Amino acid sequence: MLHLSPERLAALTDEAPSAAELVHLSACADCARERRAFQQLSSMASSESARIGVPITTWESLAPALVADRVIDRGGRFVFSRGRVGRQWLQAAAAVLLVTGGMIAGRVTANTPPASMTSDSTTSAASATALASADSGLSFQTIDDARAAQERSQAVYQNATAFLAQHDSAAVGANTPSAMRTRLAALDRVRETMGEALNKAPYDPVINDYLFAAIGQREATLRQLNTALPAGMRLTSY
Amino acid sequence: MDNEFLIIRRAIDGDEGALRALWARHAPHIDIVVRRLVGHDHDLAADVAQEVWIQIFRALPSYRGDSQFGTWAHRIAVNRTLNALRKTRRLANIETEVDEESASIEPDTDRAFLAESIEQAAAKLSPGARTVFMLHDVEGYTHEEIAAELGITTGGSKSQLFKARAKLRKLLAHLVDATDVRTPIAGSEHVAPIS
Repeated sequence: MLHLSPERLAALTDEAPSAAELVHLSACADCARERRAFQQLSSMASSESARIGVPITTWESLAPALVADRVIDRGGRFVFSRGRVGRQWLQAAAAVLLVTGGMIAGRVTANTPPASMTSDSTTSAASATALASADSGLSFQTIDDARAAQERSQAVYQNATAFLAQHDSAAVGANTPSAMRTRLAALDRVRETMGEALNKAPYDPVINDYLFAAIGQREATLRQLNTALPAGMRLTSY
Repeated sequence: MDNEFLIIRRAIDGDEGALRALWARHAPHIDIVVRRLVGHDHDLAADVAQEVWIQIFRALPSYRGDSQFGTWAHRIAVNRTLNALRKTRRLANIETEVDEESASIEPDTDRAFLAESIEQAAAKLSPGARTVFMLHDVEGYTHEEIAAELGITTGGSKSQLFKARAKLRKLLAHLVDATDVRTPIAGSEHVAPIS
């Protein structure tokens, strides 16, 4: 009997050989070896489905599209509407500060004591304190404001982490694949622990923050690790 | 993960942190599905992956939790990628495509090129052959599902799969048979027996 064709050998990964083919395969070392090679290829292909790789999307490009699509709610409950009020308040405070400061500066440079210095400076100091306080997020008027600030900080933190993972070559050099694998394992443990805790306390902000931070760091580390590996080599497990 | 539904609930409410967490957790799996199906056109893959994620998040309110989020998102990724490939006409004339493509295989070129991975080798296949191979051997679709998805017959799907495997076997010869890279079977002396 003639050799089996490559296509037929490829088919035998899924299909049973006919009686004639079976006889041939038992006698022909070449075809038997080829059949094994196709089985090996099939096994490689199956394991490919579990492979992970560096994402080709970035949150920085996805987020604006999701905002435009109203999937991300920046205009709903707290961030956008209250943020707008906050910005208006900040703009007003800044205007007061600038006007008052300008008046004082003008009078000082003109060697003229400012009129009603006490009241003006009190207003200015109060405005400055309020502005600095609001700007640095040290105090909040409402719970929603605080939550909004918390979410913004979280987003900024995750963006910064992702950016550093992608662009900070010094950090990549300093982190060995072995160290990053250790970090990944640790992050997975944190994620698991926080995940279990979240089942008991779904809305606990500290648990939520730790969970999101662990997920964000894990993503960043995976990116770093895949960058650190030799070309063509991709992380499938650690 | 058990706690994922809580993140999903927050994500449905438009919570950016939760959406980002879902993306961060699943992008390493989802994006690679897109990349596998699209092939070597990185720009197209990136565009399609972006569309895929927007679609996943748009559809999030319809997620009922019957399957794992990853499985559900994976299915969307495959469907959206196939749609995108159809739009770019990369899957047009799929039935004839592989026949033409396989006829033009140049063994010498294949031998010179040794792929480092399934993904790299599959990128050398025509879009139709790559799609059938990826759907069947990697994603675990049946020929019936592939036929329905691509608008071809199950016989066509099988034929393309076997040809794709035969070519991949050559491209990955050093990985699937390190001890003996056999010259590709070709020519009149090697004919498939008919039982």
